[in-house]
Amino acid sequence: MNALVILIIAAVGVYLGYGLYAKKIDKDIIQPSPDKATPATMYMDGVDFTPASKNVLFGYQFKSIAALGPIGGPIVAAQYGWLPGLLWIIFGTFFIGWVQDYASIIVPMRSEGDTFGALSYKLISPRARGILLVFIYLYLLLIMGAFGQVIGINFLSNPGVPVGVLAVILMGLLAGQMTYKMKQDILLTTAITVVVAFIGIWVGTLSGVTGFFEGFNASLGANTKYFWALIFAVICYLGAVLPIWRWAQPTNYVSFWIIALGMAGGVIGMIIWTFQGGATFGDFPAFTGWSVAGLGPLWPILFVTIACGAVSGWHSLVSSSGTARQIEKEVDALPIGGGAMWMEMILAVIALLTATAATGGWDAYLEAYAGGKFGVFAVGLANFLSHIGIPTAFGIPYGMVFLTIMGLTICYLVVRFMRVASAELLGDAIPALKNMHVGAIVALVLSLIVIWTGVWQTIWVLFGGANQMMASLALLIITVWLMSQGKKYGWTFWPFVFMYITTIAALVYTAFWKALPAVLAGTKVTGNIIAVVVAVILILCALVLGYDGVLAINRYRKGEVAPTAE
Amino acid sequence: MPLVENVRSKLRQAQHTIGEFIYGATTFEWVDGIHKERGEVERLFALITFGDILGIPILPPYYTLRLLPFVVPAMDRWKRSLLRERDMTDLAELFEGIH
Repeated sequence: MNALVILIIAAVGVYLGYGLYAKKIDKDIIQPSPDKATPATMYMDGVDFTPASKNVLFGYQFKSIAALGPIGGPIVAAQYGWLPGLLWIIFGTFFIGWVQDYASIIVPMRSEGDTFGALSYKLISPRARGILLVFIYLYLLLIMGAFGQVIGINFLSNPGVPVGVLAVILMGLLAGQMTYKMKQDILLTTAITVVVAFIGIWVGTLSGVTGFFEGFNASLGANTKYFWALIFAVICYLGAVLPIWRWAQPTNYVSFWIIALGMAGGVIGMIIWTFQGGATFGDFPAFTGWSVAGLGPLWPILFVTIACGAVSGWHSLVSSSGTARQIEKEVDALPIGGGAMWMEMILAVIALLTATAATGGWDAYLEAYAGGKFGVFAVGLANFLSHIGIPTAFGIPYGMVFLTIMGLTICYLVVRFMRVASAELLGDAIPALKNMHVGAIVALVLSLIVIWTGVWQTIWVLFGGANQMMASLALLIITVWLMSQGKKYGWTFWPFVFMYITTIAALVYTAFWKALPAVLAGTKVTGNIIAVVVAVILILCALVLGYDGVLAINRYRKGEVAPTAE
Repeated sequence: MPLVENVRSKLRQAQHTIGEFIYGATTFEWVDGIHKERGEVERLFALITFGDILGIPILPPYYTLRLLPFVVPAMDRWKRSLLRERDMTDLAELFEGIH
């Protein structure tokens, strides 16, 4: 079995899932009409509602949902062997992932552009909206913890990475300056900034530079992880408080090209390597067992470990508040929402192959994983790139810079959102939180506590749990909406049931079988106490949500609320 | 020749589609952001000149009447946009690329 065969199997999954199942649901149940006005065209105000063409929105949707999540999940889940993760990515997308993303566009589009906050209030219960906000805040904190540990502790402390990251950020700032202030052509701006960023990454791998950072890290000793996590926090702080056009947006833009070129090169390298007889799984096991030390049992942990790439609740929020308000024609919802999710599935499969077939075997995977979690991806990508002539000595630091900037672009926005959320939720009680610097610092202090004290695999599972619980909520809202419209709802109801039960089981396992025993044993006490508290809050919220959901479903089943045909 | 023309047409279509996809994944966000900023400024301008329509007391300036014919076509959308209930999930679109 080699990587290309797996990629072909995934492509067949796309054909069956998108070409047959998704199109049938779209045609028979949702019945979109090209002549029906959408909120984007009806309420076009240039702010919230603005129509855009199908292909543009497809690109926007894909970029919006595909980042570090579909890469990180498969890397962690490869501990169960390559087969369980592969099956969950394909079947999860087939039965749940695209369903959620697509319907998360359809429901707001047919509800005058309401977001999921408003829809949960109307369709489930008033408190469902509050629960959604709790999920969101905890989810953001867990993102900062999970990505912050990888970036701050594992990657930035790697001697080959800091200069490359600095180069990409500086080129991002230059791109913003050239575009907005100097009014330069975007092609010229792109060419200059991307080329110089690549040169910066290369300079960062030179022995003189790496030697300097090795010496610097050695002088820091045990404080290395604190220092680089602080640097991570400072970068996030600047990204969160400076105007979005000055920092976050242009660095995101330059990063896109660094990442896209790396992925394209990786895929080409993989194909060449396959035809040379390589890119096989070798001694990498298809299945290692029903339970893995450190992670836990396959069910339910696998299903929250790989969230993005199979199912992700965050997509529903992005789709409902962004894409659904820009769709020009109803018939575009499937290619945009469903199509982007299937494309993300392919990205997750490539990430899984990079972490398995490309690393050079099971022992190499374990070694790279122990050295820096997502570092497995950097090693695999470098092996793929070596087949198009890029030396591994450059490829590995490039892969790490690639992942670091991918994570940083997310973290800027997370801190930005956290400071706005704390100002909105607590600003009246604590006026200081309305100050953006205070809000950002509070968010970063909380994040640093999780980064410094947390157990990474536990944080990652909780992060997936919060995400999947949002997916449950989205599927519940969609199910109730379908009932309210008198439409068939089994295709969203059963995915909801599966995700709900699985996620609660994962959270209960993580809280009471992993984190709590660790606290009692005196291992990483602070981090594990935080994990237990977060898990218990998520479980309680999920139970309240489940209760309200059953009540809402029964209202329609018993005919207390008459369906409203469109 | 129809075959050649057909192939050319398909290639042009593919080029257009790929171009739009790349635009959507790269600079669309910038352009969209600028449009939104302009929309916000226009909404604010309408608020300070015609806020009394929504019950916000403003001094009726002379120029309001001069501007009225230009504002009338956008009045319904402006009122809806300004009065629409919002919550934190409205901000989720900021989070492109979280996953």
